[in-house]
Amino acid sequence: MTSLHRITLLASFAGALASAQDLPKAETIFERYLEVTGGKAAYQKHTHEKMTGTLLVPDVGMTGKLTRYAAAPDKEYSVLQLGPLGQAESGFNDGVAWEKNLITGPRVKRGDEKALAEREARFNAQVDWRKIFPKVETTGLETVNGEDCYKILATPASGKPETQFYSKKSGLLVKTIATAVSPMGEIPVEVEVSDYKNFDGVLYATRSKSKMGPQHLEITITDISFDQPIATEVFDLPAEVKALIDKAAAK
Amino acid sequence: MLLLLGVVPAFAQLTAEQKQLNLASFEAVWSAVHEKHWEEKPAGLDWQVIHQEYRPQVEAAASTEAARAVMRDMLGRLKQTHFAIFPAAVYQVLDPSGAGDGWPGFEAHVLNGRVIVTDAPSQTGVKLGWEVLHTNAADLPQLVAKLQADPAIHELQLERAVAARLSGPIDAVRSTVFADATNTRVTRDVKLIPPRGNFAGFGNLPPQPVWFESKMIGNAGYIRFNMFLDLVHVMTEFGDAVQKCAHCDGIVIDLRGNPGGIGGMAMGMAGWLVSQPGLRLGTMYMRGATLNFAINPRAEAYGGPLAVLVDGGSASTSEIFAGGLKDLGRARIFGTRTAAAALPSVITRLPNGDGFQYAVANYISEGGQALEGNGVIPDVEVKLTREALLAGHDSVLDAALDWIRKQKESK
Repeated sequence: MTSLHRITLLASFAGALASAQDLPKAETIFERYLEVTGGKAAYQKHTHEKMTGTLLVPDVGMTGKLTRYAAAPDKEYSVLQLGPLGQAESGFNDGVAWEKNLITGPRVKRGDEKALAEREARFNAQVDWRKIFPKVETTGLETVNGEDCYKILATPASGKPETQFYSKKSGLLVKTIATAVSPMGEIPVEVEVSDYKNFDGVLYATRSKSKMGPQHLEITITDISFDQPIATEVFDLPAEVKALIDKAAAK
Repeated sequence: MLLLLGVVPAFAQLTAEQKQLNLASFEAVWSAVHEKHWEEKPAGLDWQVIHQEYRPQVEAAASTEAARAVMRDMLGRLKQTHFAIFPAAVYQVLDPSGAGDGWPGFEAHVLNGRVIVTDAPSQTGVKLGWEVLHTNAADLPQLVAKLQADPAIHELQLERAVAARLSGPIDAVRSTVFADATNTRVTRDVKLIPPRGNFAGFGNLPPQPVWFESKMIGNAGYIRFNMFLDLVHVMTEFGDAVQKCAHCDGIVIDLRGNPGGIGGMAMGMAGWLVSQPGLRLGTMYMRGATLNFAINPRAEAYGGPLAVLVDGGSASTSEIFAGGLKDLGRARIFGTRTAAAALPSVITRLPNGDGFQYAVANYISEGGQALEGNGVIPDVEVKLTREALLAGHDSVLDAALDWIRKQKESK
């Protein structure tokens, strides 16, 4: 699971299509991924992260910019500028998952949607994968874009399971099938990631192509910096979100 | 969504490259329907057979116009709205700097087969209720009669055709003949002025002028905007207008002539008008995904009487908004039946430069009925009449304001 995945992906479903016999254990594949992307020590060297990137919605010719801030153990704030849709923000802090945009206004996420946001906010999730996915299982071997991949069904502690595909050759994650959850419903999401680059000792996928229902989304990460000062206020809940929480508590 | 079509480029012999681009465009159009139409057999058709039928016609097309006509014919087999191809040149024409964006400064709509002025600031020298007879070499009664005689032309298309005749290059002066209140012929030199509002595009949708207005009529709020576009401005102004109206007797949202735009804006606006959580306007069915048009209630949502005005020019997102709020029992709908053209769509560019709009979903309003082909039927059917306009009244708005007043009195 890369940071790119934490932005675009969520949970998923899958069926085991091949026998698990003769396949490496999922635990081994997860540990190999941790190792080939830098190893536990490289990940744990960092406590803060800032990521910038660009977005493209090719079907409608729309582009945008993305900035994501994260801090250990589980603080996250993302802001997206998507052309004519304006600014969209989301975050996780103090156990509250939220989003705010010009269409829906402020909103507090609940249920599976909150579980997903919490999972995405976990800093260095790769290191703590056992806590995030208590149950993992290798279900087969499949080809993704001509590359042989191990297929893993990963079931989180809460939220929907997801299917991940790891390259047999490189050990890197290349694809995830998941389910995006929101009040609009559950949408199947397929995300293919590529172009891994080294950022201060850790390999990150810098390109993703997602398919959500009939729509497509492409993300390119342009920079990742670690442990630069990030003002703590960045992660504060917006006043409108606090107002919603206070209103709910008053009822 | 509104697409302004027109401008036919000169007929020209195709180069091998242009021919190839037209073929690639055909394949893109065919594939989009094949892969993204919400039904695996689009409109019950065997789309593979359609390919075999139309591809040779595009191969034989002697011009881009002919190739475009073949593709339009293929899309016409679906008999569904929101499938359209518009020429590459339309992007230049609709650019803010281009010609053709001027409008006469007054609004006119087809009422009872006649083009009647429905809104006219005093500086135009034109009065409410006047009939527009002739402009820019167009005989409007004749045009309307011809179009109304064609059962395939619906009200939305009729209104667009009339609007196209009344618009033109900015600063052009059009000698326009009207029939006044006594049906006496009156001629005015109408100078076409820059369009209202700001030009706003959305992805591959050509830029279009978008305006928003809100005002108080007595102690009722009145909100009107011409399209669900320019999201940043329109959503902000809509929220501000509703918040300013927290103590109003009621709110009127006028969607007459509003052809729609960004579907999500209907959900967002409904959030300012619905306070109960867990509700939705309807459901969108796509290939492989189903989306609820969920309403996220704002903390400051308005809970008073709500009237929505519609007519045959209210389409797409306007219908999603009006139909959903009607089905939820949140709004009372006044006017005439809407356009029944409500398929969610996207617009993309084809290899030959043309624009291509295609629907990707069916939409069922919360009451269980498809808006496509049915439209929204008002709770209170009221027609705008020339007689009322000549007397300085908007009969549809009057009916809504009267209902709001009665709601207050009944408390």
